[in-house]
Formats: sequence, structure tokens, C-alpha cells
Amino acid sequence: MAEQIAWEENLETAKSRALKEDKPVFLDFYNPG
Amino acid sequence: MDKVTYPAAEVINFVNERIVPVRVPYDQKPLAEEFQVKWTPLFVILDGNGEEHHRSTGFLAPYELISMILLGMGKLYFDHEAFNRAIDCLDEVVDNYPESGAAPEAVYYRGVSGYKDSGKPEPLKDAFATLRDKYPENEWAKRAAPYKLL
Repeated sequence: MAEQIAWEENLETAKSRALKEDKPVFLDFYNPG
Repeated sequence: MDKVTYPAAEVINFVNERIVPVRVPYDQKPLAEEFQVKWTPLFVILDGNGEEHHRSTGFLAPYELISMILLGMGKLYFDHEAFNRAIDCLDEVVDNYPESGAAPEAVYYRGVSGYKDSGKPEPLKDAFATLRDKYPENEWAKRAAPYKLL
């Protein structure tokens, strides 16, 4: 069981994974503060 | 989000299993301009081609985040005319997160997806009845009002 979310840091990488794994992309724009 | 929602076990499991999560600073160019980021946190559900299907602004607790993502997934599959996949996601919201902010819209899109899949009006009528009975003051109940005439 993972202990944290496995974030991608690059949208293009996330899109490629999404197509390969047949999943949607969840994009979080955040304020790193 | 980092203190409350993202460390929650149910969120970690859901996100890692069901979607591809990506996190970028709100001012990262050119994405911030492409998505017209005005406030954070901003969550966007995209397909693998980068097309946007749903967005939400502001903090969400675990229950609300998972239901919002499921709604976005349902809308993505609806847009792709994969109605059975849409219905599966929307049913998860309706059945497992009925008190969430996403639930009324999920009921609406559940009805529309059922209609588009079957060509029959019953899913629309069911959606109206559910919205009238469970969420009578919600805007989606008003949007479904014409379906009572079917």
C-alpha cells in the first residue's frame, strides 16, 4: 500500500501514461507558498 | 490539501489506482496561461489527449475530492460517448458519496448518460425524481425540471 500520492511533475508525461493506462489525468495547480 | 486531504489513505489509494495525478505550480508557464489559472487550488480532469472535461476551485476534504474526481471521470466518459463507463463512475458518486457537492450533478449526468445509452426517457425521469426528492434546492434539480414532462 503506497504511503503517498505518486505525483507526476510533467503534464506531457502524465498524458502519455494516461493514454497507455487508459486513465484520466488529474491536474492540480497548487501554490507552493 | 497537503495537511488534510492528500495524506488520507482513501485519497492515496483512489488517486494512485484510478487516475494519473500531476501537480504543477500555479504560475508555471505556459500551462497557467493555457488553463487560465486565477486561483488555487485548481483541479482539472483531462483525458490523455489533454482535453479538459471538468474543473473545480478551492479546498476539498477527502470525501469531496474523491467524489469530484469521479464526477469528472463520468463527464469525460460521457463526452467520449462511453456511456457505460460514465454510468459506472456516476453511480459511484450517487451510491457512495450522496452527501457530496458533486452528487446532484452526478445524478443529472447519470440520467443523461442512461438516456443516451438506451434511447429511452426513463433515466431522465429517474434523475428528475431523485433530484426533486433528495436535492430539491440544488441548481441541478432545476435544470432537470423539464424531464418531469416526459
